[in-house]
Amino acid sequence: MNNDIVDVRKTYDYLRKSQTHLVQSSEIATACVCQNLFKLDYPYGAIRSDKDYLVANTVHDIMSLCVSGPILENWHSGLENYEQLGEKIVNESSHIVNIIINDTLDGANRENRFVPDDFKIQVNDIFHGLVLGMTRRLMKKYEKPSRVLTEITITNIKTHHEGRVDAILEYPDGYGLLDWKSYDISNTISGREKWQLIANTLLANFRYKRNEDDWKEHKFSCIVHNGGVYFPKTETMTKEVDRIKSNRQFAHMVLCGQRVHVQRPKFCPVCDKGLEGSKECLFYQRDARLAYEGKLPAQYEKMTKQFFAKRYAILKERAETHLHKHVASELINRHGEEEALRRLEKIGVLCRGYSYDFDVDERVVFSRADDNIPLEPRRIVRVIGAEPGKSLLSCISEQASVMEVKNNKITLGFRSKIAVHRAKKQLFHLPIFFLRDELNLTRSMLRPIHQFHKLASDVLIPPELSL
Amino acid sequence: MTINLNPDQSRILNWRVGSGGVAGVIGPAGCGKTTTGSFLAVKMICEGYAKNVLLVAFTNSAANEFSRELCMVLGSEGSKFLCVRSGYAPGADPRLPIPFSNNIEIVRAKKIVICTTQSLKRLSASIKFDNMIIDEAGIERLEHLLSPFALGINQVGIHLMKENISFETNNIIELASQCGIVATVVGDPKQSRPIGLADYDLSAMEWVLKCAKYDTLFTTHRLPDKLAMLVDEFADYGGLNSAPEIAGRRMDVKYPIDEKFKNVLNPEEVITWVNLNGNEEMGGPSSWYNEIEAKACVRICSELRRVAPSKSISVVTRYTEQRRTILKYLQSLDIDARVLTTTGALGTQADIVIFSLVRNNPERVVGAVGSLQDLNVAISRSKEKLIILGSFEMMLNSLTSSFNLNQRLKQNFAQKLARLVDRKFGMVVEAPNELCN
Repeated sequence: MNNDIVDVRKTYDYLRKSQTHLVQSSEIATACVCQNLFKLDYPYGAIRSDKDYLVANTVHDIMSLCVSGPILENWHSGLENYEQLGEKIVNESSHIVNIIINDTLDGANRENRFVPDDFKIQVNDIFHGLVLGMTRRLMKKYEKPSRVLTEITITNIKTHHEGRVDAILEYPDGYGLLDWKSYDISNTISGREKWQLIANTLLANFRYKRNEDDWKEHKFSCIVHNGGVYFPKTETMTKEVDRIKSNRQFAHMVLCGQRVHVQRPKFCPVCDKGLEGSKECLFYQRDARLAYEGKLPAQYEKMTKQFFAKRYAILKERAETHLHKHVASELINRHGEEEALRRLEKIGVLCRGYSYDFDVDERVVFSRADDNIPLEPRRIVRVIGAEPGKSLLSCISEQASVMEVKNNKITLGFRSKIAVHRAKKQLFHLPIFFLRDELNLTRSMLRPIHQFHKLASDVLIPPELSL
Repeated sequence: MTINLNPDQSRILNWRVGSGGVAGVIGPAGCGKTTTGSFLAVKMICEGYAKNVLLVAFTNSAANEFSRELCMVLGSEGSKFLCVRSGYAPGADPRLPIPFSNNIEIVRAKKIVICTTQSLKRLSASIKFDNMIIDEAGIERLEHLLSPFALGINQVGIHLMKENISFETNNIIELASQCGIVATVVGDPKQSRPIGLADYDLSAMEWVLKCAKYDTLFTTHRLPDKLAMLVDEFADYGGLNSAPEIAGRRMDVKYPIDEKFKNVLNPEEVITWVNLNGNEEMGGPSSWYNEIEAKACVRICSELRRVAPSKSISVVTRYTEQRRTILKYLQSLDIDARVLTTTGALGTQADIVIFSLVRNNPERVVGAVGSLQDLNVAISRSKEKLIILGSFEMMLNSLTSSFNLNQRLKQNFAQKLARLVDRKFGMVVEAPNELCN
């Protein structure tokens, strides 16, 4: 009996010593724009913005519920009078919109966060724009999907890739991807949105075909934005996929601490335009140049080494947040899915047999037949709805934390009430698994290192070298 | 404001109020680290040494503890007027009068801001603090320390000071000090280590002790004489002693102890090691549990609840799986006792503490339970009585060793504890048959 446990523990020990990094689609997109920009986030920690995305997040939440509700219910393909249909959908969605706006305002007030005076107007306007974009461009072109899934996290361990897709439209013979943007992307210059969409499409291919390069059932991918809908050109897709794959590998190697030569694009939309972040980027480029020329002052060089040692220790921690997923994947490859799940269950990393009881606000109570629940409060879990034919890590899931375990009942706290609504709609009717997970809080830990790196430079680099 | 501080605390208060830069305060168990930190913040504000002070803790419960102390020092109205709790709203204790806010204007208007390290990102980078107190730095890493430090950087000041900064600076703590950051880093590297850090890496507190001035609190208001002596010699503090008013404290029971538990619960003995040979079992990806020990813990708790119903009881163990196992049994019998891992036990105390060792194997590998920090935390939570439950032979002959931080030498702390309990400060008793199955 113990052999199974030893096998899983040995897998943990082995993988703990290896690189278990996963690159997010958004990071791949940044690397596609400029590899230096990716390094600015990881490993440098020069996060470029302090913005509070309250409006954008609220619109995302609204869309995640409305697209599988009033939008799907009113889907009419080929309709000419799209504006009228758009108005109808907006009217029918008003109760969802109001609930989400009020929930968001409650949360923001509780935390005393800054809320713009025209918050409600902004949210309603953007939502209106997105709905009109969908009715005008998407519904005109495509049939009503048989099902819509929203906020789906897909992990492909083999390619070290993970991403969260805003919405997947399922058809009897294929699938389409949607990505919401709360701004008008025709006004942006980086093209980052396109790269993220295609990177997520690779994940969708993996979810449906278990192979990211299998495009047979892929119907479309598009960005629904405030000014309409954008479809990337299909003629250049192969080239773009290649670029995504090479940048994915680049990002993975950087995260693993390997020395990789950075290829700066001919035109960087950040540095060449002098946008926010360009100063930081130039700062690290100057550091690299001085180090190459052997001109860095000894004290500064020593301190820089300390900063980088700390940065890579944090990155190692980031990798560890994906350890459970890697172990699950490794065991599935070795023993097949059923046997792997049995072993993971035995050791308490995976729990099965739960059914949804009820929910109150962000909290959901589940129960199972016995009281042997190997989880305890504050542990993070990925609540997975086991879908037939899909690999475990690409099934519908939501992250939650364990609030209470009592007898045969477990209470989980979800991120928000909207996450609970979403999970009730698309997840809780499926066989439920809880897979242990971790939070990635490393991004905020890198930022002070960047600030001190700059401070050390201010103090220790003579002005003539700073030029 | 009436200040009741012991001489150690007063000395540190007077030192830190006037001195700038980054400095450390070591506080062994029960010495009043949080109290000292809170008093320091209040003194600096009230006497005009600082315009605003940031109090940072690693966990929400420690941040709430800071808030509680401040309420005691300043009173309800004073704390409401001067302080604000910031960061993660659900983590803040709503029963305390200190308001919660992440609103930049409200935070800016207050004199004392309390926040956790991880939530500092919610405070705008535009808020600057001219003084900060960082608690439980033993569990933090250097990078955690930089988050609050970053809120003390004054770029304008740095450019004015630049000419005075020595180009000999070659470590981050010194750089922070020289750039005008004023921070008192409080902790005990002998009680806590950052989770997942290798033996040879330094915690934030150790970095501070290595690169800056520090002082130590030596008077414990928690541990009675024998426990204070055990902890002092075990962790090599060099003079930890009990405050006179609690030195002779012993467990008092309301009802007679059952004959079977007489030796185990002997009120005259502060430290009792109950020798029990249960079997360790693997649980979870890297945890352990011991069913026999878990049941024995529950039986002892049950008897304690009967003979001393008003006493607080904590069960401490190194392993989450053992915690879960004990909790399951306690819940099924509806026995009121806290069960904590050594990490979770940091900063807590109870009248009676039961420490479950778990590990027992022929190879004599005690693993993580043999580390200085875990053992030190487990033996220093109790106000009246400590019961160590597990195989005495196993610990006495264990093979695991870890670093002694002072001398950077490898030492066998499990063995050291077993010897100290047996030979000097406690009693080793055989577990009665009732506890062995």
